[in-house]
Amino acid sequence: MTDEDDRRKFQERRHPSEKDETAMPRRARDSGRVRAAIRTELEEVAEQSDHRATRERAAAPKVISLENIYLAFDEPILENVSFDAKEGDTIVVVGESGTGKSTILKLILRLLVPDSGRVSIDGEEITHLTFDDALKVRQKMGMVFQGAALFDSMSVYENVAYPLREHTTLGEDEIEARVREKLEFVDLEPDRVMDQLPSELSGGMKKRVGIARGMANNPEIMLYDEPTSGLDPLTTATITYLIIKLQRELQVTSVVVSHDIRSAFRMASKIALLANKRIGFFGSPEEMTGSDDPYIHDFLGGF
Amino acid sequence: MILERFNDAAKRTVYSLQEFFVLAGKAIGFIFVKPFYASDAVQQMDAIGVGSIGIVLLTGFFTGMVLALQSSVQLKTFGATDYIGSLISGSMIRELGPVLAGLMVAGRVGSGIAAQLGSMRVTEQIDALNTLGTDPIKKLVTPRVLAALIMLPVLTVINDFIGILGGNVIATFYLGKPASLYWKTVFEQILNGGFTLRFIPNDFIQGLIKPFVFGGIISLVACYYGLKTTGGTEGVGVSTTRTVVTASILILVTDYFLTQIILAIFQP
Repeated sequence: MTDEDDRRKFQERRHPSEKDETAMPRRARDSGRVRAAIRTELEEVAEQSDHRATRERAAAPKVISLENIYLAFDEPILENVSFDAKEGDTIVVVGESGTGKSTILKLILRLLVPDSGRVSIDGEEITHLTFDDALKVRQKMGMVFQGAALFDSMSVYENVAYPLREHTTLGEDEIEARVREKLEFVDLEPDRVMDQLPSELSGGMKKRVGIARGMANNPEIMLYDEPTSGLDPLTTATITYLIIKLQRELQVTSVVVSHDIRSAFRMASKIALLANKRIGFFGSPEEMTGSDDPYIHDFLGGF
Repeated sequence: MILERFNDAAKRTVYSLQEFFVLAGKAIGFIFVKPFYASDAVQQMDAIGVGSIGIVLLTGFFTGMVLALQSSVQLKTFGATDYIGSLISGSMIRELGPVLAGLMVAGRVGSGIAAQLGSMRVTEQIDALNTLGTDPIKKLVTPRVLAALIMLPVLTVINDFIGILGGNVIATFYLGKPASLYWKTVFEQILNGGFTLRFIPNDFIQGLIKPFVFGGIISLVACYYGLKTTGGTEGVGVSTTRTVVTASILILVTDYFLTQIILAIFQP
């Protein structure tokens, strides 16, 4: 192991956000664009941390609560999984591939029902709801799917307008204004993309439209399934930045499923590490880097 | 060991059947429950109905012609070629029209529906609908079922007519029978079949109940397999194949039993 590696590891442990300043520009020395994007992002993170601290002191109410979840299909997937998300929290669920991270999102959305245990949204238990009532609870949530899951028979405009048409009585002018607002929020030019079909968009643009659709109805909870997987480093940085911007400006409670530790550290107020069907660690990024647990060390070691 | 496996297979079959009938019940029930996705239904009618007119015209016309050609050989031996019109009209309206239209639509539309819903399933668009607070059965299945229930009888009528017209071509140009004689025997056949409620020909009842049922079978089987798709793009292929095979077999089997039932009810 070289001296430089040692030094970086030491810094990572002491201050997680600092590692990016040393690691990222080295990788992208030629591109001023990348550096600029990352710099703004880190500034955002710094502000975000302040927000985080004040909110934690205020003892915010629980928005999402999972208690002793047990779920098995052919074999157990989750055993005794519990965690809470308070208002304004961003929980990032990390873990190796195939450990049931996305399953947690499906449980929160009540697309799946646990074999035992309780899932509550805003204090209301959703595990025993009827199908129709579950549809109503889902209106509080916006979900961004791994592959964006845009409706490919509809234009970008219709995709973002979809939740508005379904659940509001807004007129066409108001819907258009809202769609434009959301597309601008995710840094897309409404006039350029509105009439395009999802098949004409790049991967990063699809993700952004997915985020715009997820937030169109102004949900209080945002859920993200692998928001940065399969994207280049610059796009990853901008999507991460968007998620942070969303939680800061709109104060939404978020659950992000990811195996991208770098962006996880940037956006998380709490990190949940899923290992061996259980939550192996739950705490702030600072606590995670300070942990002595050998598995956590191995897990972070790759970064 | 073998018994156990048999038991598992039986359970799975019963479970699938239950799932299918739950889907069918919901899909048909939702026709009468708000919100109505009317524009989706109209779009599906266009895709299923208008989109299938071409193949229905083509198959109907050639089936009518070949039917006339083949039966002319038999009829000649009895010297009964004058009655070719009644033979064509009877078999087209009661049997071939509905079954052929059903099979063609199962191949063209059923596979399309299964592939579309299947890819929506594997790209998480079905989950997205659920997440956005829409019942996928209501949004996707009901409009397709409604469209198929309405459009299949319409396609069958077109198929019947063009098939009889195909018979006319053979009767006139091959057998040398005047069109007036041909059409006279066509109508005689319909009138001789008897009437329900004094003015609805029994042949028409039989010829319209069948495609209505087939429309339901095709759309429901396609939606069922489509929504149940697992295993990525390969799964979409499997669902599509299963849809066409299952729907075609069900059409042919149901056709027999429907004929028995209808004959028992409407024939004196």
